[in-house]
Amino acid sequence: MSLLLAARIARRELRGGLAGFRVFLACLALGVAAIAGVGMVRSAIEAGLSEQGAVLLGGDAEMAITYRFATDDERAYMATIATQVSEIVDFRSMVLVGDDNRALTQVKGVDDAYPLTGTVVLEPAVPLAEALAPAGGMPGAVMDRVLVDRLGLTIGDSFRLGLQDFRLGAVLLREPDSATGGFSLGPRTIVLTTGLAKSGLIAAGTLYDTAYRLDLPDGADLDGLEAATEAKFRDTGLRWADSRRAAPGVERFVERIGSFLILVGLSGLAVGGVGVSAAVRAYLEGKVATIATLKTLGAEGQTIFQVYLIQIAVLSGLGVLIGLIIGAGVPLLAAPLITAALPFPVAFGLYPAPLLEAAFYGVITAFLFTLWPLARSQGVRAAALYRGAGNAGWPGLWHWVAIGILVVALVGGAMLFSGSANLAAGTSGGVVGALILLALAALGLRRLARWAARKSFVRGRTGLRLALGAIGGPREEAMSVVLSLGLGLSVLAAVGQIDSNLRSAIDRDLPARAPSYFFVDIQQDQIDGFLARLADDPAVSKVESAPMLRGIISLINGKPARDVAGNHWVVQGDRGLTYSDALPDNAKITAGAWWPAGYTGPAQISFAAEEAEEIGLQLGDTITVNILGRDIEATITSFREVDFSTAGMGFVMSMNPAALNGAPHSFISTVYATEAAEGPILRDLASAYPNITAIRVRDAIDRVTEALTAIATATAWAAGASLLTGFVVLIGAAAAGVRGRMQEAAVLKVLGATRARILGSFALRSALLGAAAGVVAIAVGGVSGWAVMTFVMEADYAFEPVSAIGIVLAGILATLLAGLGFALPPLMVRPAQVLRAEE
Amino acid sequence: MTGTILALKDVALTLAGNAGMVEILRGITLDVARGETVGLVGPSGSGKSSLLMLMGGLERATSGEVTALGADLTAMNEDGLARFRRGNMGVVFQSFHLIPTMTALENVALPMELAGVGDAFARATAELQAVGLGGRMEHFPRQMSGGEQQRVALARAAAPRPAILLADEPTGNLDGVNGAAIMDLLFGLRDRHGATLVLVTHAPELAARCDRVVRLADGLIVGEGMV
Repeated sequence: MSLLLAARIARRELRGGLAGFRVFLACLALGVAAIAGVGMVRSAIEAGLSEQGAVLLGGDAEMAITYRFATDDERAYMATIATQVSEIVDFRSMVLVGDDNRALTQVKGVDDAYPLTGTVVLEPAVPLAEALAPAGGMPGAVMDRVLVDRLGLTIGDSFRLGLQDFRLGAVLLREPDSATGGFSLGPRTIVLTTGLAKSGLIAAGTLYDTAYRLDLPDGADLDGLEAATEAKFRDTGLRWADSRRAAPGVERFVERIGSFLILVGLSGLAVGGVGVSAAVRAYLEGKVATIATLKTLGAEGQTIFQVYLIQIAVLSGLGVLIGLIIGAGVPLLAAPLITAALPFPVAFGLYPAPLLEAAFYGVITAFLFTLWPLARSQGVRAAALYRGAGNAGWPGLWHWVAIGILVVALVGGAMLFSGSANLAAGTSGGVVGALILLALAALGLRRLARWAARKSFVRGRTGLRLALGAIGGPREEAMSVVLSLGLGLSVLAAVGQIDSNLRSAIDRDLPARAPSYFFVDIQQDQIDGFLARLADDPAVSKVESAPMLRGIISLINGKPARDVAGNHWVVQGDRGLTYSDALPDNAKITAGAWWPAGYTGPAQISFAAEEAEEIGLQLGDTITVNILGRDIEATITSFREVDFSTAGMGFVMSMNPAALNGAPHSFISTVYATEAAEGPILRDLASAYPNITAIRVRDAIDRVTEALTAIATATAWAAGASLLTGFVVLIGAAAAGVRGRMQEAAVLKVLGATRARILGSFALRSALLGAAAGVVAIAVGGVSGWAVMTFVMEADYAFEPVSAIGIVLAGILATLLAGLGFALPPLMVRPAQVLRAEE
Repeated sequence: MTGTILALKDVALTLAGNAGMVEILRGITLDVARGETVGLVGPSGSGKSSLLMLMGGLERATSGEVTALGADLTAMNEDGLARFRRGNMGVVFQSFHLIPTMTALENVALPMELAGVGDAFARATAELQAVGLGGRMEHFPRQMSGGEQQRVALARAAAPRPAILLADEPTGNLDGVNGAAIMDLLFGLRDRHGATLVLVTHAPELAARCDRVVRLADGLIVGEGMV
């Protein structure tokens, strides 16, 4: 009965309209929209990847091998399970046009069956087979437009890969299976594998991958086939993938970045929560007389609580609904743009899961931030009708319990939905910590302003004294501005600090220590000539070279490596390994001893110390490495320090030469040279050894920087949503403060203040509050940046002042805009209007 | 007039003000008989309204005892007092205190809804017709004049047929003509329902219509007499 009556009273109250709830609705809707929007895009990508799994993979399933083609056994097995098989070979190489025009490319050698699914889109729109068909004695090729433009090629021009000339048959516009290839340094060139026979690029020991795309019979049991294939070929380095998870790398990346952005969006919702709380507080303050009247007429505290809880529930529902409509609608409207910008299929539609997630966050946040003022409304006494509201007291025990449950639900929900408890807990902790810090900073600012307003240095500076007095006064302005603006600015500041530190680490520090070029696929008969060319070049400061093989750690102490090492990256896929008779100059043994010179006994292995510790390896443990289908068991006799951060040469495993005797391999070399000498060195070496692939480290760094920029931009957009919400809260606070400022302006005018002086005072307090929010944000951003650089990136941190200054200026600008936007009514008002109305 | 319906025994009220604690009432002892009309008079700040609020359980005494209809109001909590007022007390304020988001009819029906009365709206309709507002039932407070709003407030106070009617300067915000009309209505309601009426007023002619006048000054009863 009580609840029904409360609902009736609530309905009557809500008939009054939503005038007091615009900020409430805007804050909630914005926060929910940001989260829903990110979730919808993530779901669209996941659905696209899932729907197009077979196309992305290039078949129903794929069996991939590194460094070799399939054996007869393996081919026979494929023939038994598949209706059709297509063979792909993939490797990096240098494409040469004329005598001197070179670029790195990722070559894909295909057979006639390619692609089993999907379509290769070319310009001109000819079939792939036609573009790849030999003409004029040269096999055909198609090439990514970026590379075609860079090399200045036109259709029909010839270029060289290794020792083989090819004719450009068409420009490659879309490669259906491109998303499964992972991170590549060079744009794509597709040729027929048969055309590579005389190129000298696919020799024993060179670095290439092969993949066998399988067309499976309808209704094939993918689980069963995966298990059977893994069991049969587990130790041969053969990897299974199928259309259920065609692009696990992309999927994982999208899932992670999506979760991260949703958590950043959650911080926006927390900012919105501040606005929601302020709006509800202001609304309930305006309802004191109604609440007291209800009490006079016999309403109990519980009924009052229910009346306003129902109203907040209805309004929250409305705010969440608006947010969901925006969050679902904007990605749908922007679908063509997003689809065009992403290199993998995106299936836009209405996905309930991300909308439910966003609604969950919205509802919980709305109640979390309104429960406190709601609980206090219950304490309004009937006596408020004739002698003011007085102190409504603190919420009761049950309200605290409810607030606790909501906090747990919010953090628990974030952990559940994000799929990464650590990330969610870390972000939630960061947001709560930042809010507490910002609240403390606001309190400190008020005290500081109050203290400063009484000091002698502000005497005679009326504008400043008025501004300090207003900031330090009893109004909630300082708290509201610092909280609402501070969190969004903090996220932006953290992004700015991390981004600039990463950039400087890459731009400034890495090139100073990193080599100019990596050369791979140097054949054994080429290495001496290769080194001789560099030995006499004064521009070359250092050359390192090492034999390079690739192998898979299959067993550790006789047990399957994955059972021992779990998902450690070293046991996932193939790893580079080398051999050396003597301890390399820059190597440092941390435990055990290097093998004696000329050692020919049982195989020994030296393992990277840090990775060994992570896996739990001890001296004396045995490692079985599968190299080209051959198992080599070696005993760990030493651990070495390996620094992977310099982009120099680093091998997890090094063996004694006799252990790898006869294994086909090539050499890898790093060359440290001045920037001016890079061009001539490449020209000489590439001309002398066409099969060698040169990877310019600066280009690789550019690719990494591009990826980082994209992530930083996405994060900045998500933080921008927080900032926008903060701005709405600011506008709400400024609008709510108009009446107080009108009264203040009226009194100041009576006392002789000009409008310019009053305006100056308003502007000054806005600027001071905005600057304070900016300074706190810089502190929070700086600490976050330091923590991420130190503990996550394991790199040096240096405070970056330019973005920090930008943050402070943004804070000042936002508060000035919000504050001065509402300055007109107080400035225009005639004192008598305000003061007479007060009597 | 049979028996005491309201009894205050050595009641004091001290409230926190800007300049510290302020003694509003300093030991009030007063009995009001069932069916009696009592006028509380005195200068501004003498404690008249505070005394009325104590009688209605809207304010809590710092010390002393307030009994209404035999129940000790000082022993009740805020919710207990709210429940007690339902059906027992009707309060009329100088500033009307109608709920702005509710129509006249809803305002009048509200105390009966809170008391769980089944025919709340039928009774509210009758009560509004009785105060001459049969044509204004669906109007919101802001659409009515001050006199009309006070008539709605009177109807709201009287509709549950309370045993005690408390009125705090009910004509204070009205002009002479409207004020006189309201007083006629108030006394008419009291006569019709036989309620006890305690009235705070500055107007001597209103006080003159009461059975008894209690004069306050500086938080104390300084005079009392039958009219």
